[in-house]
Amino acid sequence: MTNISVKDISNTSKTPEYHPATDWKRYFSFSTDHKVIGIQYIVTAFILFLVGGIFAMILRGELITPESDLVDRSVYNALFTMHGTVMLFGWTFPILTGFANYLVPLMIGARDMAFPRLNAVAFWMIPIAALLLMASFFVPGGPAQAGWWSYPPVSLQNPTGNLINGQVIWLLAVAISGVSSIMGAINFVTTIVKMRAPGMTFFRMPIFVWNVMSAQIIQLFGLPVLTAGAVMLLLDLTVGTSFFDPAKGGDPVLFQHFFWFYSHPAVYVIILPVFGIFSEIFPVFARKPLFGYKIVAISSLLIAGVSAIVWVHHLYVSGTPAWMRLFFMLTTMFVSVPTGIKVFAWTATIWGGKLRFDTPMLFALGALILFVFAGITGITLSSVPIDVHVNNTYYVVGHFHYVLYGTVTMGMFAAIYFWFPKMTGRMYYEGLGKLHFWLSFIGANLNFFPMHPLGLQGMLRRVSSYAPEYEMWNIIASIGAFMLGVSILPFILNMIGSWMNDKPAPKNPWRAIGLEWLVSSPPPVENFEEIPVVVGEPYGYGKSEALVENR
Amino acid sequence: MDSSITSEELHSSRHEHTHDEEGNKMFGFIVFLLSETFIFLGFFTGYIVYKTTNPDWLPPGVSGLEIKDPAINTVVLVSSSLVIYLAERALLRHDLMKFRQFLLLSIAMGTYFLVGQAIEWSHLSFGFTTGVFGGMFYLLTGFHGLHVLTGILLQIIVFGRSFIPGNYDTGHFGINATSLFWHFVDVIWIVLFFLIYIWQ
Amino acid sequence: MPTLRVFQKSNRNPITTNQFVTMKIRNILLLSAIAIALTAVSLWIGHLAYFWLPPQAAAESQLFDELFSFLVTLGTFIFLGVIGTLMYSVIFHRAGKYDTSDGPPIEGNLTLEIVWTAIPVLLVFWIAGYSYQVYEQMGIQGPMEAIHMHIPMGMKSANAAPMKEDAQTISLSTSSTLPVEDIEVNAKQWAWVFRYPQTGVTSTELHLPVNYRIRLAMKSEDVLHGFYVPAFRVKQDIIPKRNIDFEFTPIRIGKYRLTDSEFSGTYFATMQADVVVESSEDYKKWLAEAATRKPCTAKNQAASEYAQESKKLIKGWVTVAPAQPPVVNYSN
Repeated sequence: MTNISVKDISNTSKTPEYHPATDWKRYFSFSTDHKVIGIQYIVTAFILFLVGGIFAMILRGELITPESDLVDRSVYNALFTMHGTVMLFGWTFPILTGFANYLVPLMIGARDMAFPRLNAVAFWMIPIAALLLMASFFVPGGPAQAGWWSYPPVSLQNPTGNLINGQVIWLLAVAISGVSSIMGAINFVTTIVKMRAPGMTFFRMPIFVWNVMSAQIIQLFGLPVLTAGAVMLLLDLTVGTSFFDPAKGGDPVLFQHFFWFYSHPAVYVIILPVFGIFSEIFPVFARKPLFGYKIVAISSLLIAGVSAIVWVHHLYVSGTPAWMRLFFMLTTMFVSVPTGIKVFAWTATIWGGKLRFDTPMLFALGALILFVFAGITGITLSSVPIDVHVNNTYYVVGHFHYVLYGTVTMGMFAAIYFWFPKMTGRMYYEGLGKLHFWLSFIGANLNFFPMHPLGLQGMLRRVSSYAPEYEMWNIIASIGAFMLGVSILPFILNMIGSWMNDKPAPKNPWRAIGLEWLVSSPPPVENFEEIPVVVGEPYGYGKSEALVENR
Repeated sequence: MDSSITSEELHSSRHEHTHDEEGNKMFGFIVFLLSETFIFLGFFTGYIVYKTTNPDWLPPGVSGLEIKDPAINTVVLVSSSLVIYLAERALLRHDLMKFRQFLLLSIAMGTYFLVGQAIEWSHLSFGFTTGVFGGMFYLLTGFHGLHVLTGILLQIIVFGRSFIPGNYDTGHFGINATSLFWHFVDVIWIVLFFLIYIWQ
Repeated sequence: MPTLRVFQKSNRNPITTNQFVTMKIRNILLLSAIAIALTAVSLWIGHLAYFWLPPQAAAESQLFDELFSFLVTLGTFIFLGVIGTLMYSVIFHRAGKYDTSDGPPIEGNLTLEIVWTAIPVLLVFWIAGYSYQVYEQMGIQGPMEAIHMHIPMGMKSANAAPMKEDAQTISLSTSSTLPVEDIEVNAKQWAWVFRYPQTGVTSTELHLPVNYRIRLAMKSEDVLHGFYVPAFRVKQDIIPKRNIDFEFTPIRIGKYRLTDSEFSGTYFATMQADVVVESSEDYKKWLAEAATRKPCTAKNQAASEYAQESKKLIKGWVTVAPAQPPVVNYSN
């Protein structure tokens, strides 16, 4: 028997409090309510996902044929640069921040984040950064075209000679996004450490909260170093300093260190909340506690810690000394241990449970499967001799897209479907959800699997044309990409249609255990009538224990 | 499963759980300063790497940096940390007069430092774009200088607010954060001084 | 289909000790059978991995392929193991249509958790150790002289161990008939130029004698480039203003492709060259013949595209001009 008292799992609820359709104006305002801000992040992120996705469609269109025949090469280079930039800084980071924003206060029994106004300021910096990036298409010389890494000396080459050029705008946009993230990190860490409800010790927090905390700690030590490198690059570009320009005595490899010192841990910032979402969803749809909760929680901190000392695996062929390559090979392989702990824990959670396959579970399970594949290719990449061959080829692109699309994006959709009823007070259409899932799962495999043989055969990444023998796999990949594009349609239909319909969703349609499921759908403005007192561990499925004190 | 917190203890503390807003703000501010430390660490690392890997580290015509005046500046800046600490203590004693005096002194010392830095800059024979050395020197001292300026502005604001009646009813977050920031700026400078001036 | 009851705790169905032991033995046998089947499949797929790679044109390729095959075998085993377990649950652990009860409240199992932490740690050491061995044997160099930290520990070239024994590999010092030298590789936006210093021959095609240890001295004129020959499994970024030494041993006669692996700007994708590995006889003949040719401008795809008007629908922006097309003795 589930341990929450029956009245909290109301399938037959009295009319929940939901805001009438005219309330949409709140979402365009400077609101300090974390729930509004959360949704603002999520919707903004999705729009940018579509923008980045359109860029991808053009790229894959070009790659159907070996020759460069669809767009000019400089356009192609701009598109892959902006695809990466928009997808990372406009889709993954904002949507994860959005979910963290929405859920963390609810999950820990707080009324809002520690610094609500800072929260709002941090959000509004995102549309500004995004607009800057879009505007860069219209300046002479076009947007940044040096890849989302902006390695010098290519990124310093400024063909127009103008001060205001695409690369400068790119650096400013990324800087704004970075400041926004640091503000968010300060907010999340303070909130989680200081504002948990009485009785919620650290080892009674949901894993999603553990993972947000670990991820935001990474942001705090990593982003500043990227900022340092970006400031130096910007100065080189605008004022003529010589930090990274070899012609003037600078060191371009040092930039790579600055860049990857953040950007590698950044991928754990992205994946940790997704892991948190898996840890929330699997127990619900298996009706079993999370296996090994304490170890899973600690593994999140371990991942955050180890992630800080692996970055040189992006520089194996950059001219790093042997001792450095081998040290970082070892640390990189080590990060697979706490990650593996999580994968095994989820598998054990699912094993022997009473499984149901609603859309959130389908996406979470599909994402887990794709993650295991990505993790294995990741381990191959950590080996220096292997990476020497496949670095900068499509093998790497395939690996990280299995993570970023297969795990992160599909994990995000799992979260959207899972918490949609809570956030909107409506239920989505299950049929459309399942269609979205299958199109995504098949499309992702078609699109990204072929990249592995391509990379092994030596096809480089970032190329606007390629040798004819690579054509077949490229065509398959492009078909997969178009399928992914199509898969978004049932999702959009579902979201708009469900949000607009009048059928209210129950307080807890999944019969899940957690503080957010104790309140109405959507939650009242102040979250809780009375702050709950936590007396139980999370994920208490099958146990007859109360989560909160009965008053 | 057992709970190490009894229901009694939980109930006794409050009816409605109020959050320690002052405590939260201070916690957040400390987290912010820890993060800021990493920007400086990034620049320090860059400086060290450039210095140790460049055979032609100093630009032509430059044999080194003068230490005397920067050393005096250092003493002044570090002492101002003591002064602002005394100001904080005075405020705790509710001695507003002394508080404002010490605060003004600290502001003056900080300003002396900045002016001294500007004078040093104007006498240097190399510029921002004079090789990696010039770039790192001005970047480090300039970025630090910006922080000193920010610290001075914060102290001015704190000074101004000390005239508002009831300003300290909710606590001393303003002065506490400002003085912590000022100590932070000092520690960064000490490291900078060693890196740039002593280790030549 | 026998069900695996790994967690035997259930107070509703007390079982006798005998039944318990039988179940345990049955479980062990079943798990062993599955493990053996998985190993067989993994080994087979690991064997297939060789076919996913370009021809083994260098001694380094053989080392790489073995390591890669090993990793594929290991990876397949883990993948099938985890996914197999998940799929089993998906098929056999579904909730009944009207069953709203919860599953067994199993929160953990310390033994299992220790095992699945310890085994990955051991695997990490195994993989790292094997990779390190291969790394040493491949002699993957980098620009050692570029980074001079004042640390007493010297930075020796990774080429410490002797090459994997190959009877045909001839060491540099014994050969007196071949101009075996540091072949100069010059990378620029967007062309490769090769120069043989002893004869002064320049070329846009890299000719190499088979079974000799090749040494390259690589330079870039402008931005980062990457020297990459997939058939040799070797790659090294070239950093402007530094001389990068690089070594490998081609073992198979044929024509292979060299591509620029580090994104270098607009016409990055066009920066390719052919690498011709030939017998030492043919190599000497080629060098001699090329020396007699007058240097002339080689075809350069980047330069010719740059010179043409774009006819595409979406036109691009102003771009860095390509460097002068190379003027070389030999081009193709």
